[in-house]
Amino acid sequence: MVSVKIMLFATLRSKYKTRELVVNCDGTLPNMIENASKILGQEFVDDVYDKKQGKVREDMIIMVNGRNIKDLEGEITLKDNDVIAIFPPLAGG
Amino acid sequence: MCFTIENLLLVVPVPRGYMGKILRVNLTTKSLKVEPTSEEVARKYLGGKGYAVYLLYKYLKEYEKAGISPKDIDALGPENVLIFATGPGTGVPGFPSSGRYHVMALKSPLTGSIGSANSGGEFGPFLKFSGFDAVVIEGASETPVYLAVVNGEAELRDARGLWGKNVFDTCRILRDKVGGKNTSVACIGPAGENLAYMACIVNDEHRAAGRTGLGAVMGSKKLKAIVVSGEEKVPVAEPKKFAEVSKRCLDAMKNNAVTGVGLPTYGTAILINIINTAGGLPYKNWQTGVNPDAEKISGETLAEKYLTSRRSCWGCPIGCGRVTSVKSGPFQVLASEGPEYESIWALGSSTAVKDLDAVVKANHYCDEFGLDPISMGSTIAAAMELNEREYIPQEDLQGLDLRFGNAAALVEAVWRTAYKAGFGKYLALGSKKLCEIYGHPELSMSVKGLEMPAYDSRAIKGIGLNYATANRGGCHVTGYTVSPEVLGIPEKIDPLKAEGKAKWVKIFQDFTCVVNSTVNCLFTTFALGVKDYAELLSAVTGWELTEDEILKIGERIYNLERVIINKFGFDGKDDTLPRRLLEEPMPEGPAKGQVTELEKMKEEYYKLRGWVNGIPTREKLAELEIEL
Repeated sequence: MVSVKIMLFATLRSKYKTRELVVNCDGTLPNMIENASKILGQEFVDDVYDKKQGKVREDMIIMVNGRNIKDLEGEITLKDNDVIAIFPPLAGG
Repeated sequence: MCFTIENLLLVVPVPRGYMGKILRVNLTTKSLKVEPTSEEVARKYLGGKGYAVYLLYKYLKEYEKAGISPKDIDALGPENVLIFATGPGTGVPGFPSSGRYHVMALKSPLTGSIGSANSGGEFGPFLKFSGFDAVVIEGASETPVYLAVVNGEAELRDARGLWGKNVFDTCRILRDKVGGKNTSVACIGPAGENLAYMACIVNDEHRAAGRTGLGAVMGSKKLKAIVVSGEEKVPVAEPKKFAEVSKRCLDAMKNNAVTGVGLPTYGTAILINIINTAGGLPYKNWQTGVNPDAEKISGETLAEKYLTSRRSCWGCPIGCGRVTSVKSGPFQVLASEGPEYESIWALGSSTAVKDLDAVVKANHYCDEFGLDPISMGSTIAAAMELNEREYIPQEDLQGLDLRFGNAAALVEAVWRTAYKAGFGKYLALGSKKLCEIYGHPELSMSVKGLEMPAYDSRAIKGIGLNYATANRGGCHVTGYTVSPEVLGIPEKIDPLKAEGKAKWVKIFQDFTCVVNSTVNCLFTTFALGVKDYAELLSAVTGWELTEDEILKIGERIYNLERVIINKFGFDGKDDTLPRRLLEEPMPEGPAKGQVTELEKMKEEYYKLRGWVNGIPTREKLAELEIEL
């Protein structure tokens, strides 16, 4: 098991009234999301995970230590103290 | 004192989407003339930025014929030309987010390159409702004047009583004086009057054509304001078809997570945390891309503690504008708008000021006095670094304690710049000249003299290529590749890779020219694509534009603009970045160790553009049907 910090932003932060939380998981993203939902509520899974596709929702922006998971090659394995930032779709300029 | 239009009768057919008239005002001779909007020109350059670039090029040719070198044109001299232009989308009900206009000048006092800026609010549509597609300002008045354009009539009026007034008072006084429906004021504040190089033009109190110092150009012409008012309607070629396309596009925007939820809820400031997380939020004059206090100045904090309501530009379903207040304390502001992401970054992150009260106040002053908050904040940040490195003699600072993080000094520096008071006279020159004066030009984080905005290109590579090649200088909205690189729109690409970025930069720059010539809001492109624009513009104008034609128009505009800046002496040597981004590796964060591999990207970009050393080839210009 590893311990990681999850940070929520924008509408996710206001919805769950949580800025950050620490969760233990087996180092995979699905398990991290599952365990986070035990604290935040089951709805959190639907907010960030596409069960049909069996992967993180395409429109969510999830960054591990500042790198978008879409830019990371290979299977993602989380390590102790990793920081996972989760943003809903957003933009500005 | 009152001067009116010489000729109002026109018999040329009016192209659909246009009002058919351009107002040409000479402030030296006090003459006002009307000329028809050319369908031939509009078909090639649309309107807004494109039409203005076409007109500016014609002025340059005339000057050259008269033996005046483009390089000798003084940005603050009467020979400079200022154009306020709308496009075929502007003011058309149902054209998504079309409440905008574009302002251009032959030359920017800040950069010496072309002047260009864009603004929302209501001025653009109301200019069209007053009966005109564009207003061209030539010459310079000896005494302050303002231009009133009301229901197809126009006149120059005495503005001596307005000179010295701030933006808010000027907007209120002129709006009340002219009265009527659909009345809007674009004006300068004290910063423009005092010729601060980063002075902007502000309309509707808080909306600004912010960049490249166009407020100083207005100030040099003694033109305090333009007030527009009217009730004319924009003709649409195919109303039924347009209604269908409009509904589809508006639905797409409503159902899009960014334009339907993210921007309405949080505005642009929501970017602070994500760009900081990606390691690309410049901090302390770009010494790093990680701001440890980003949360304190974030969009979430702004929404939680400062937001009182939202404000939409004319015809916009997004409503990203923030109405804010600082309820108490030394930086109290009873009612303001913003700050936007860029303003928070420049006034807050680049200066390391973590007190959002002070950032809101400094931004409010920028609106009140008429200053571009990006260039203002960046110039203050450069001064802070110069000062901390002991490059500024203390007698020049006259007690102004410019250190990173000093909130009070930030606010003090803004008004001092507007009035050129004390050290403000140095700040008013912008960061490039400021850093040159103190012997360290490398500390100006600018391109072609224009301060770069809020994305560090060591962490987001494509935006670095865009900064370097943007015709107006260090600008993000010339080609906003942050969208695919960080936000994943329309698809996700890796921000740390230089490979393949050139094609993204080119297509974003070309498409943005179309948006700025339509003229409507760039934020629509988070939900709408080239095909949508082709269909919207076709229905309004009746021209049956294809996607390829749309992009060719954009490319044509970008190339003609490049031809103009080439004539000013800008070429490949100027398509570069500050040394810090090219040679100093990012010290921390997810982009640690990265620099911007500009030369590699630039080579590919020039090849795609058909340019040699930053200059379009004759073949490329012929392909784009640009007549020199």
